[in-house]
Amino acid sequence: MNLFRSEEHARRWPAFQARAEQGFITLVDLAGFFGTETRRHMLDGDYLSAWFPRRATERRAYLEQIGKTTPFWLGTPDAV
Amino acid sequence: MTNPGLMDRMFQRIMRALVDTGRAPHYAELARALGISTDEGRLLLHEVMQAYPIGWLHPETDYIASFPPLNNLPTQYRITVRGEQRWFAQCGFEATSVTWLFPGETVRIEAPCLDCGDPVTVEMRDGRIIWVDPAEVVGHLNYGFGPSRGKPPFL
Repeated sequence: MNLFRSEEHARRWPAFQARAEQGFITLVDLAGFFGTETRRHMLDGDYLSAWFPRRATERRAYLEQIGKTTPFWLGTPDAV
Repeated sequence: MTNPGLMDRMFQRIMRALVDTGRAPHYAELARALGISTDEGRLLLHEVMQAYPIGWLHPETDYIASFPPLNNLPTQYRITVRGEQRWFAQCGFEATSVTWLFPGETVRIEAPCLDCGDPVTVEMRDGRIIWVDPAEVVGHLNYGFGPSRGKPPFL
């Protein structure tokens, strides 16, 4: 999960996976993805018990909102 | 031992220490702070890491390697706050979440591009992107989330 100077730079990276052509995300969307509600409570005393468990649902909702609904992004099994 | 209140307290001790110093404490230090024995501290640390599986201990040790969004083991994602480069993010994605650990502060992310080595720079404040260089900076997920994801230490 990296930042590159541009998509072309990522594609030139020797470790670039062909399947990861779908792995691009704009910086604005990325900041939103990693800035959902639970992330704003990481310093709260009950983060681990009260906030972290909500993270997966929240992340999935955000990914759907920005149109990243493939198994690659959602972490669901690939269709056979 | 599972005690949610104690696990929350240990979690916060770790996160707060990372924010304040850039380094994660050892379980013996955590145990002292929480008023438990060192071995109880070690066991509790493992429970906390199991409950927070996006982080990890260095393999075969009790040392905190990654506690996202920050990393105890240096990565290429250097974080600067108030002019001090004291922190490292777990990865490029988590780097954009570090802003939430420093409310009201400008958080600067600097990393070499893995293709060319030239710098990628992003500055954020309270979740907003306030500076990007170059303007075409993009995030990239090389292994999908879930079953297709690689081993955690090799994100």
